Amino acid sequence: MKIYQVALKEIGKRKMRTLYTSFGIAVAVSMLISVMITASSGQKEVFNVIARYGHSLTITPVDKSSSQSLKNFGIGTGSYIPESALPEILNVYQDAIVAGWEKIGGLIFQDGTVGIGGVAFPPPTFAPRLYEEATVKGKDVIIGGVVLDKELIARFWWDIDTGRFMDNDNEVIIGKLFATLTQTKPGDTLDIGSAKMTVTGVIRETDSPDDYMVFTSLKACQRIFNKQGKISMINVRAMCPKCPVGEAAVEINKKVLGVRATSQMEIATAQSQIFQKTTALIVSFVVASLIISCIGVFNIIMGAIHGRMREIGLLKALGASKNQLVRFFLYEAVLIGVTGGIIGFVLGSALSHIVGPILFKDIVIQVSPRFLVIAVLLGTMASIVASIYPALYASKIRVTEAFKSL
Amino acid sequence: MTNMIDIDDVWKIYDVGGEKIEALKSVNLTIEKGTFISIVGHSGSGKTTLLSILGGLTKPSQGRVHIEGIDIWNLNDRELSAMRNRKIGFIFQFSSLIPTLRAIDNVALPVIYANGGGKTDRKATYEYARELLSTLGLGNKLQSFPSELSGGQQRRVSIARAFINRPSIIVADEPTGDLDMQSESEVMEFFSHNNEQEKTTFLLVTHNLALARMTDKVHTMKNGMLNQNNGGFTV
Repeated sequence: MKIYQVALKEIGKRKMRTLYTSFGIAVAVSMLISVMITASSGQKEVFNVIARYGHSLTITPVDKSSSQSLKNFGIGTGSYIPESALPEILNVYQDAIVAGWEKIGGLIFQDGTVGIGGVAFPPPTFAPRLYEEATVKGKDVIIGGVVLDKELIARFWWDIDTGRFMDNDNEVIIGKLFATLTQTKPGDTLDIGSAKMTVTGVIRETDSPDDYMVFTSLKACQRIFNKQGKISMINVRAMCPKCPVGEAAVEINKKVLGVRATSQMEIATAQSQIFQKTTALIVSFVVASLIISCIGVFNIIMGAIHGRMREIGLLKALGASKNQLVRFFLYEAVLIGVTGGIIGFVLGSALSHIVGPILFKDIVIQVSPRFLVIAVLLGTMASIVASIYPALYASKIRVTEAFKSL
Repeated sequence: MTNMIDIDDVWKIYDVGGEKIEALKSVNLTIEKGTFISIVGHSGSGKTTLLSILGGLTKPSQGRVHIEGIDIWNLNDRELSAMRNRKIGFIFQFSSLIPTLRAIDNVALPVIYANGGGKTDRKATYEYARELLSTLGLGNKLQSFPSELSGGQQRRVSIARAFINRPSIIVADEPTGDLDMQSESEVMEFFSHNNEQEKTTFLLVTHNLALARMTDKVHTMKNGMLNQNNGGFTV
């Protein structure tokens, strides 16, 4: 028999107390683990969206006069990019992408295109949009002028819910939310400015401002609102994985006056940073609860030591050194910590499955074994920290004091 | 003969609520190896305090205690623990078993703390534990928990435990307090046999004068002072 076996037998006799103490640790660990799992899965979700939609840029005019209502949609009107600037922007973009690939040792073909394994990537898609405000069927709505074939590449998740996409400049498609709120369906006619436009289809819900918009061709929109040669923004889909679009954005901002290019990855990174700060704040609250759990463990172990004074005195009399007595109590702390960590991991995983979907729509909760390791280490550490003083206290109990307690 | 224990001018003064209580007053005692001595005296005379000091459990206020020439109160905690563990076997005047361990594990317990909890010959330890328990009439109670044993049986388990490390000194405080006359006689016979065969030094604290008479020397204690007598002392 070893010292740890004596400790285990002692713990075995006090199963309920050990379990009760472990549960105090488990509650705090479970909260921490659920925050960590939810945060990690949520962050992955943000980057997954970027990966799913491809690396892309948004180019907008340096906005000085957008109306507040449109800014609420995250889009601007009132400032425009001249259509004539598109070739220049494209050139700056291409040069920046090639330079970026060269820097990271990518393959550059003779014609200036880039690729992997001898296959060139398709050229980037520049999808221009013009946004204008209008009142349609008594509702203030944004009219988006788009180049449909490019738009369908840039926003490849667009799909028709009912009807079809528009074919000519007298037709429009509408967002699902707008269709629902205005009771509009394919075949209806909408008055947009002085033009009468036929609705050909409703776009399936996208969870974006597109759901409350009306789309027509870029030319039709420019004609109706008398904005020939002007666009409000350009969506650029890079069409190559891991394209250095961030560098392209920097170059466009530097070389093309009056526009502001933002990479989606930058947005995701910024979102991720906000997310990390929020997570850190929550974690600090949870750590506070872990400290409270430690105080609980401390009290329980101190109580146990007072109840076992005679045994401790006896062990000392039989030759147990201070070091051995400290170990004796730390074995118990480790067991409480490991048990609390495992229970905390199970509870935390379950909790993240409940909390995660509330915080993030479509989140896929990913419970990795590393969270089990973290939970066990954390539980053990907390339990040991809480037990160090009681263990030292026990080791310093004088044998005669222990015997007086009889 | 070699001196096993030398107690030199030992005092123990307790401070109880600002009042100084002299539990031991200048106690001097020399015990040769292999002798069997007893200490008798009224309750509160200082017998248990003396045992506790020479057993390395209570630090004296003044004076020195040498065991085999080593000043035990100059040892550090680890050395003193090792000394208690290997040189001294304790038999306390109260039930002193670990309730979660079986009788045989309780007997083997001091071996676990020997060698810093390192490797021990488990088989030999348990064989000797079994032998000790059988000698003390508990061969059929090896796997019993303390709660399943009578007071007398528990006392015999703690006696067996005191011998497991084959100590040079046995310190026994009222060792036969819970035993019936026959068991008491068997235990004393076991002590005497061990004293003769293994040359173990025995210090026995008792109120029982019949037991005291069975020892080589009887010492009396009164008000913290020790009087030395040769065998044949009567109260």
